Amino acid sequence: MDDSTFRIQVQTFLAESLTPKMKRAGMLMTSVFADFEMGLAWHKILHRKGWIAPDWPEEYGGTGWSLNQRYIFQEECKLANAPAVFALGLQMLGPMLIRYGTQEQKDFYLPRILSGEDSWCQGYSEPGAGSDLASLTTAAVLDGNDYVINGSKIWTSYAQYSNKIFCLVRTSKEGKPQAGISFILVDMDSAGLSVKPIDGLDGTVEQCQVFFDDVRVPAANIVGGENKGWDVAKYLLEFERGGHNYTIDHKKQMAKINRQIDSQSSAGNLLSRDNPVFMAKFADVAVDALALEFTELRVKGAFEAGGNAGALSSLSKVMGTEIGQRLSELSLELMAEHALVKQLDALEPEFEGDIIGPECGLTTMAEYINGRASTIYGGSAEIQRDIIAKRVLRL
Amino acid sequence: MFIEYSEEQTMLHDSADKYLRENYSFENRQVTVKQSRGFNAEQWQMFADLGWLAMTFDEDAGGFGGGALETMILCEQFGKYLVLEPYLESVVLVGGLIQAGGQSAIKEHYLAGLMAGELQGALAYLEEGNVANPHYVTTKAESTGEDYVLNGSKTVVLNGPEANLFLVSARVGDNSAQSKEGISLFAVDKNTPGLSCNNYKTYDGRSACELQLDNVALGADALVGELGNAAEIAAPIFSRAIVAVCAEAVGAMDALLAATVEYTKQRKQFGQSISSFQVLRHRMVDMYMEIELARSLLMATAWKLDNGSEDAPQCVAALKAKVGKAGRYVSHNAIQLHGGIGTTDEFSVGHYFKRLAAIGVMFGSRDSHLSRYVQA
Repeated sequence: MDDSTFRIQVQTFLAESLTPKMKRAGMLMTSVFADFEMGLAWHKILHRKGWIAPDWPEEYGGTGWSLNQRYIFQEECKLANAPAVFALGLQMLGPMLIRYGTQEQKDFYLPRILSGEDSWCQGYSEPGAGSDLASLTTAAVLDGNDYVINGSKIWTSYAQYSNKIFCLVRTSKEGKPQAGISFILVDMDSAGLSVKPIDGLDGTVEQCQVFFDDVRVPAANIVGGENKGWDVAKYLLEFERGGHNYTIDHKKQMAKINRQIDSQSSAGNLLSRDNPVFMAKFADVAVDALALEFTELRVKGAFEAGGNAGALSSLSKVMGTEIGQRLSELSLELMAEHALVKQLDALEPEFEGDIIGPECGLTTMAEYINGRASTIYGGSAEIQRDIIAKRVLRL
Repeated sequence: MFIEYSEEQTMLHDSADKYLRENYSFENRQVTVKQSRGFNAEQWQMFADLGWLAMTFDEDAGGFGGGALETMILCEQFGKYLVLEPYLESVVLVGGLIQAGGQSAIKEHYLAGLMAGELQGALAYLEEGNVANPHYVTTKAESTGEDYVLNGSKTVVLNGPEANLFLVSARVGDNSAQSKEGISLFAVDKNTPGLSCNNYKTYDGRSACELQLDNVALGADALVGELGNAAEIAAPIFSRAIVAVCAEAVGAMDALLAATVEYTKQRKQFGQSISSFQVLRHRMVDMYMEIELARSLLMATAWKLDNGSEDAPQCVAALKAKVGKAGRYVSHNAIQLHGGIGTTDEFSVGHYFKRLAAIGVMFGSRDSHLSRYVQA
């Protein structure tokens, strides 16, 4: 099937399947996460269609699409305002189990990831181990057939909604720190495991801290073998960086900026479209966004050729997030005092009341606030630059 | 021009710093934010007792006769300690407008109460449709003989929920909606029939409202200043307000830099304090330089306003534009260098960041002031 026919097929499916409430949840996203309930509802619809895991090999439940088709699907979902599926299980754990899991682990966990029966959160960072993840200290000690885990993980997104967590834990203190780390799967309802939600700056809760107090986990839940966790995690981090396409988000942001400009009355001084200072700034970011769009095509090309885009992926993450932040600053300027209004109930997908200010400005401040984290998580902008320095410039 | 602060000004600076340091903790501030009222009445009374609320009013009205410099000195401390109380809205804006334009009856009626901490004010001037333009006024004031009837709506009225007194901009006559001419200012008591408020919180921890005016009947004595001339009366008050928020911004940025330096020294990753990484050291130096440039512009602008310099309006524009840029650079990097904890509600970093974001959009964004600056 050619790409344009495929695109129409996807658009038709989206138009028929996305409910207004789901679309609203997609439009009201102020970070990479959507309302959990709506995201899960959408997940189940995709699963029924067989389209929940486009990036997985077909034999494990993937769609068998070409890379182009996968990009088209992602693009059309975003353009249709589909709520983001909470994807840590799908995008991280799934591929990792496919690569490193035992047959039993694959047979048990993969279907549950696909169906949405399991929602996985990620236990990597610790209060003392952020950029220096290898220095993590949450320990897992073998006791009979179980590991006993003690310690704490932080920045576990949506842990409050998850029933499972995949963790990096220390199983040895010998040798290099990386050499003593294991990858383990844990039930959130295990005795001794507790979740503390962390209040975010925008007034919502996305992040949590998870505490392990003598939590017993079957030894069979180790993936990839004891002390092999760092290799497993590295494989996943490549996946995490390579997969994100920032261009569509930027295009949506820029379209919104144009709507925000239009929402200003044509009366009054210095409508932003007539303000050369503002337009020069907008053009500057737009040109960088265009350059990134073509860079992402190069990354896609490298994947298609069977390679991996290496440092271009790091560049994408740095530039993608920084451009996103710059765009959110433009929106903030445009909305002026309207951006100050905190109306959290209007950000719920079921809200039907009146909103203060134009609809196109409803998420502006929250997006701006939450956008600050984008250059911190998944490898901070400084770490990404170090990676480029080492791998590309060989400094 | 180097500012030599008077003894009183130095004392004001030191005593404000000391009082807030000892009595305005971040923890208590956070308790206040979460309450429905959103400001601490006891603190406000203390500000009155300390003479802060009277600092910038004329001596013959019972004030201390201070100007932009005194405003700057106080507001810098308010910014440093994340003070929530509505000094800007009640004293700088409403008090300033009443003093500048108010008929003596209005001054008598309101100024003493404002200075004593008994009255709160809110300026209702922004309207849906063009919040970026303070001259965009569609709220109408029909004159019926001596009296007026007001109809219209105002948006993002800061401190509206607490205000006993609203100053409302409205048009008498037929000038177009965005004309600078023909705007008048009216003092409206909050209990006036026809006035309704839809209250909410703002992202930077304050409160505001949408104000609806339905056939609000006012006597002739409600007029503040000359009919149709409010824009001219308001211009220097907005300049003062810009000094106030920019001073807050400089205080906030100082606090952010100090916190960031402290944090990066004690945060260890890869076996060393992250403050030892050159990239971060230079980043903090760049933060320092932005703050100092903003501070210089702030001091100069306040001085020029107090001394009637011809280029004061230009400096005001430059100041707001510079603070817009510096505020973003410093707050963004303060969060970045704090890593994950900078994005949480628990730490003060994020709250300084939100206040700086709010200041950035208030009274005209960076771009509008840059345009103003090059056109002057």
